[in-house]
Amino acid sequence: MKILLAEDDFASRKFMDKQLSRYGECDVMVDGEEAVDAFMMALEDEPYDLACLDVMMPVMDGYQVLKAIRDIEAQKGIPKSKRVKVIMTTALNDERNVKMAFELGCEAYAGKPIDMEKFEKVLKKLELI
Amino acid sequence: MAEEFNTDSMLSMFLYESNQGLEKLEGIILEKQDADCFDDADINEIFRIMHTIKGSSAVLMYENIKTASHKLEDVFYYLRESHPENVPHKELVEKVLAVSDFITGELDKIKDGDNPDGDEKELVADLEEFLGELKGEIKKQGIRLPKANKQEEPTQFYITPVAEPDSHFYRIVIRYRSDTQMSNIRAYSATYALKEVAEDLLYTPEDILSNEASHDSILAEGFHMLLQTKASKEEVMELIDSSEAETIDFDEINSTEYGKALTEFGREAPPIVINLGDEKGEAKGEKQQAPIAPGDYVVKSKETGKGKTLAKNQPKQQAIISVNIEKMDALMDMIGELVIAEATVLQNPDLKVPGLDLTNFQKAAAQLAKNTTELQDVIMSMRMMPLTSVFQKMRRIVFDVSRKLGKDIEFEVIGENTEVDKNIIEHISDPLMHLVRNSVDHGIEDNPDLRTANGKSAKGKITLEAKNEGGKVYISVRDDGKGLNREKLYNKAFENGLIGDKPMSEFSDKDIFKFITLPGFSTKEEVTEYSGRGVGMDVVVKNIQSIGGRLEIDSVEGQGSEMTLVIPLTLAIISGIVIQVGEAPFVIEMASIKEFISVTEDALIQEPGGEEYIVLRGDCFPFIRLGEKYDLPGAKSKLEEGIVAVVEHEGQQICILIDKILQEQEIVVKPIPSYVKKVKGLSGCTQLGDGSIALILDVGGLMIEEERR
Amino acid sequence: MADEVKEELLEEDASKGKFMTFQTGREYFGISISYVSEIIQMQPITAIPEAEDYIKGLINLRGKIIPVIDVRVRFKMDPIEYTDRTCIIVIDVKSTVIGLIVEKIAEVVDIMEDDVVPPPTLGGHKDNEKSKYVYGLARTGDTMKLLLDPEKLIKQEDLDILEEIQEEEQS
Repeated sequence: MKILLAEDDFASRKFMDKQLSRYGECDVMVDGEEAVDAFMMALEDEPYDLACLDVMMPVMDGYQVLKAIRDIEAQKGIPKSKRVKVIMTTALNDERNVKMAFELGCEAYAGKPIDMEKFEKVLKKLELI
Repeated sequence: MAEEFNTDSMLSMFLYESNQGLEKLEGIILEKQDADCFDDADINEIFRIMHTIKGSSAVLMYENIKTASHKLEDVFYYLRESHPENVPHKELVEKVLAVSDFITGELDKIKDGDNPDGDEKELVADLEEFLGELKGEIKKQGIRLPKANKQEEPTQFYITPVAEPDSHFYRIVIRYRSDTQMSNIRAYSATYALKEVAEDLLYTPEDILSNEASHDSILAEGFHMLLQTKASKEEVMELIDSSEAETIDFDEINSTEYGKALTEFGREAPPIVINLGDEKGEAKGEKQQAPIAPGDYVVKSKETGKGKTLAKNQPKQQAIISVNIEKMDALMDMIGELVIAEATVLQNPDLKVPGLDLTNFQKAAAQLAKNTTELQDVIMSMRMMPLTSVFQKMRRIVFDVSRKLGKDIEFEVIGENTEVDKNIIEHISDPLMHLVRNSVDHGIEDNPDLRTANGKSAKGKITLEAKNEGGKVYISVRDDGKGLNREKLYNKAFENGLIGDKPMSEFSDKDIFKFITLPGFSTKEEVTEYSGRGVGMDVVVKNIQSIGGRLEIDSVEGQGSEMTLVIPLTLAIISGIVIQVGEAPFVIEMASIKEFISVTEDALIQEPGGEEYIVLRGDCFPFIRLGEKYDLPGAKSKLEEGIVAVVEHEGQQICILIDKILQEQEIVVKPIPSYVKKVKGLSGCTQLGDGSIALILDVGGLMIEEERR
Repeated sequence: MADEVKEELLEEDASKGKFMTFQTGREYFGISISYVSEIIQMQPITAIPEAEDYIKGLINLRGKIIPVIDVRVRFKMDPIEYTDRTCIIVIDVKSTVIGLIVEKIAEVVDIMEDDVVPPPTLGGHKDNEKSKYVYGLARTGDTMKLLLDPEKLIKQEDLDILEEIQEEEQS
């Protein structure tokens, strides 16, 4: 599985990178714009299966990235089943944020600190592992 | 009341919504328990509630809740689609309650931070069987089975964060030895080491890496850090390299201090926005929140040593916030202190200089008094909660107990929206439960024929009513059962040696009804499962008295009984009259004072036993000389020199001799420290305007004392 | 761990051996300084009717209402007049805050564990009021100090209260 990780906080990034590398190859980005660039680039040869996006990031926030990804996918006519699975990772977990993220089309919303056991369950449900 | 405060708002929302749903569900069930079947609206509602719970528990990945609610949803799906007849209603009711109980239990576990690990399999199998029978029945009735309830697996999930211990906040100052080389680099390595455990870390000077001059300022002023972390002091200490440090000051601070310290470090303390709705009373049930949009959370390029700041100022406006109850209590205490401080100023002895012109002062004082009163009202209103949830519980009790006892009972609830201070709600739930159980068990006749013979309907009726009148809340439990039997009660009390050998004629009805509140009294010969388990009405009365309330009993034999709890709206602040006896100040609650009166020795009757009475306008009242009773030095002993206070409690009046009246005052009730043994006749203490302490007289307690003599 | 930290810890340990001593009558008492939250001057006291004789009443400690007891009366010694030197030692034992009225504060002394000997338990002393709350004796300088166990001082009360409640229930 090919994974895109966007996270600006060093400690979280290290942690997530370590965790995610168990499931596959993990590309690490430090801001929102980079993440979108990476996504675009990957579309041309081997698209990502999973994207983990932090919400609070420089340049573009996680929601903007999510929206951009979904827009790009729609524009390219990628069917819903082939879309990259997106998990938002953030400490902002009030209802409005979660709801908006769901509306923007993420698959899961993980509150920080992340419960990796549940995280893995979700990956299974999303049929990624 | 150390309630676990769940910080994850998605989780709280889930718990809140699910509990609301379940409450509504129980409401429907209990209302329709005796009907022949549910009507379409009920079926739709139950289906909807289960559907919602199923959906949200799936998103949050609580599998057992999801499965259980899903099965019940299925059952109601078939009921909704096929309208079969002859559904075993009683059985269905039981199934619904079983599911509701199961989910409630699991929700409680989640609330307490435990893993919801209840096993739903048996329950689901049971429902499956029921569903099977239901389907069979549907086919038998020649109705085509609807398409199976299509189950959409959720495609979106919410991963709840791991529960963590509370954060600690530390203020750390490292002072390096004066000969330390490159202290800025050392400081950096300290911050670097801490980043591992830090949730938030600020330090000054900030530019330790880029500015070599920071070396000097670190040496001169020390290196200051603010750290928010889950790690303990020891763990943090372990991380800091202190080889060149001369001292490390290490203070644990609380979050408020941390907030303040943040400002010192040049960052704005996190804003706390409380917006209690529109002032002008456009009370809208809907939450008014500024919509959020992608792009609100772009982080400004992060500067070292500073926290994240958002590029766009995130509007934070909420119509409702949840506040930790401890904070509310703290606020309440503060306002209490403010009330005292106000009294200290307004009654300051310095103002008593003769000839002082206080016109402007009095004006300002009146304004201040008005503001503090309003402030009190606001905080009171914030603490008020409707009795709804307590009453809901009672519904369930009537349902359970009446079913077990095989009694047919109609339960009516009136005024469940009456609001009471949260502290009080916690105290009335158990006594009320006891009263309701008593009514079902002892009140309503075991045999419906007895009822019809008395011209009553075969079905018993219990009414739970709450109302708010004159600063008190009245909660009554009324049944139309057999009522209390004067003779039986008297005999029972007599046999148990509770009343000495006074003949029955000396007691009024009310006196006799009160017997049931005596310790060691229970009219039911055999102890049943639901009431009269040794602890009786005396416990109810004790609990109610502990919050300054009382129990009134009324009954007509053959027609029913009514038990009424009369409780104060709030506990913390009462208005009272400060009096003086000898040198000691006391406070009497305003509500219990009937009058103050000057009396001469002529009105005094002394019995040979030493008991004294005062005759006022033809009535005779027991008389207590407070100074004598409490052995207070300097108290006036002649009636002419003092004042007699006529006080009332539960319809009884007594006279108390005091020296003089000092003033009227709002007082904050504080308990007498538990180290001191409880003194009968005193209910607490309070601080007066001049800082001295006055004891609060407990009129009810004084009367009990007086009766015993 | 770093030296400084060790020093700090040592310092903390050291405070355990520090005792606040006070004189009441001819005897000196000591109480571990870790229990002492502050020492205040004599204050106006609001008496509580029907309370035990040694509970002198309540004082207002910056808005907090705490009971004060007279140590002399507690130990069944004759009460003395309160003077300028009379003080209240405010102690905090497991969140129970009480004030001890003492005749005169003496000094803070270091008492090492080795210096403490258990109080004599000769027949006649067993029921002695004093020895109930004294867990050891220590000689410093030329005076013998009776070391108080504040937890016992508090606990004893709890027991009394419990007994009272039980009596009440039986009556």
